[in-house]
Amino acid sequence: MRARLLTLTMALALAGVSREVSLEAHRLDEYLQATRLMVSLDRVTLEMDLTPGVAVAPAIVKTIDTNGDGVLSEAEADAYATQVVTSLVMKLDGEPVQPRLDGRQMPGLNALHEGTGVIRLRASAALPRTRTGDHHLFLRNTHRSDIAAYLANALVPDDDRIGITGQRRDAVQQELTIDYRVSGLHTWPTSLAFPIGALAALGLAALALAHAKNSRATNQ
Amino acid sequence: MSRFSRLLLLAAACVLSALPIAARSLQRGGAAPAPAANAGGTTARAVSAATAFLATLSDAERAKAAFPFDSPQKTNWSNLPTGIYQRNSLRLGDLAPAKRNAAMAVVAAVLSANGYRKVNDIMNGDEVLRTGGGGQGGGRGGGRGGGRGGPAFGLDEYYIAILGTPSPAAPWMVQFGGHHLAINVTIVGASNVMTPSLPAAQPASYTLNGQSIRPLGAENDKGFALINALNAGQQAKAILPSRVADLVLGAGQDGKTIQPEGILASELTPAQQTMLFDLAHEWVGILNDEGANAKMAELKGNLSRTYFAWSGPTTNGSVAYFRIQGPTVVIEYAPQGNVDHIHTIYRDPTNDYGAGL
Repeated sequence: MRARLLTLTMALALAGVSREVSLEAHRLDEYLQATRLMVSLDRVTLEMDLTPGVAVAPAIVKTIDTNGDGVLSEAEADAYATQVVTSLVMKLDGEPVQPRLDGRQMPGLNALHEGTGVIRLRASAALPRTRTGDHHLFLRNTHRSDIAAYLANALVPDDDRIGITGQRRDAVQQELTIDYRVSGLHTWPTSLAFPIGALAALGLAALALAHAKNSRATNQ
Repeated sequence: MSRFSRLLLLAAACVLSALPIAARSLQRGGAAPAPAANAGGTTARAVSAATAFLATLSDAERAKAAFPFDSPQKTNWSNLPTGIYQRNSLRLGDLAPAKRNAAMAVVAAVLSANGYRKVNDIMNGDEVLRTGGGGQGGGRGGGRGGGRGGPAFGLDEYYIAILGTPSPAAPWMVQFGGHHLAINVTIVGASNVMTPSLPAAQPASYTLNGQSIRPLGAENDKGFALINALNAGQQAKAILPSRVADLVLGAGQDGKTIQPEGILASELTPAQQTMLFDLAHEWVGILNDEGANAKMAELKGNLSRTYFAWSGPTTNGSVAYFRIQGPTVVIEYAPQGNVDHIHTIYRDPTNDYGAGL
């Protein structure tokens, strides 16, 4: 704690008077890590927004800028993003699941040093084809837990055969368990309502025309 | 054609014609949009104010203020200050007083009197932040607070944009904001919405001209009053057992719907429900009365699918987060580690930027 305060004080001093207002205005000594998860039948997709506060930003930049040249290269950004995703522990119904990095956006160095730069990651993991019934998806984010402030939330699934029945977290949201139920009913996803409805309408119309034709032939 | 064939064709036509209605109903969570009372008065006033404002501008100024309706500028807003976030629209500090007044008249035309006061309280708070005074600030003078190219604060650092052509029928939008403020009002005919918007405050309490100002004081106090009006069983459902460190759906999180949590509004007593809607109205009612009344009717129609969630202590003055979430609303209130710095967000997952109008 004392070391953390010392780091914060040094950061404030280095930032100078003109920066004081900025520092007051935004998160200081925490590394905000917000994760949102979208569950589908065979996949889970993760969005992560990582925002190092101004007092901890130098340490995060140092971790990313491994060669210390003051430039965040593409390779360094990729390596850091992979490191974050690798630090996630995921399990579906108790069985390990390993998410992989799908994409990332790295802010400029200035924004990171201001404590406002957001590192955005996208990752996903294949899930064993889930069966009808209850399931539990567990996530634990172990990245920089010494300075982290976590947010972890389930997004409403696109597929209405999946219903979230609960979200269980630890006190700091480092861990999240999403309880969800896969329905055995063959309900149509909203996105398919139009094509299926249109096909049904066309089918009815074709049936009507065929019936009319037969009737005419019979009458003749 | 036989009678049976005609019946089949009629059924096909019915299926086809019902599809758009069914889709809209699904998208809006089953609640029909409530009609605006005294429809059109606000639109006429807003069109008049926006047209007058644009007419005051030079070509160069108009180029910064006017955008096509579907411009990427629509989503270009943030809680962050100038110098850290680039808004690309017209800065109040670059306008002569008459033009600046005309800009603020546009904001006033689309908001309620209370909403306009709230916007000014947030802006004045940022001026206090700029001057660093303990409530002594508030003047219009002064340059960029950040100096040396850093973040800038104060009354000059708010921006206005008009997207689309102000019209009584065609879609258009007023975008106004700066540090700790984003107001996005989309107008289509007689209807208008104010989602997404981000009212925030720092300092959350200051003194101006001898008056104590709390820009988001009512939001805070009504939130604490509601959580304390719940009995132990209701609180057990409403209070999340984990810390919520920030907004979940803040700036940059358009188009996302998180799984709702907390207690259902239908599990509250009528008196508690009234408190909940009164709390929600602190955000909804920033908008003009026509738009706000329609929105409140919609919220009340979704009572059985609206949740209230809380995180943190229940003693007023503590750092506590809360959220109201229904099919057509998300409101979050998130102190930033202390009670003097508040971020909030107001969204409609089905109608941000008037997508559902």
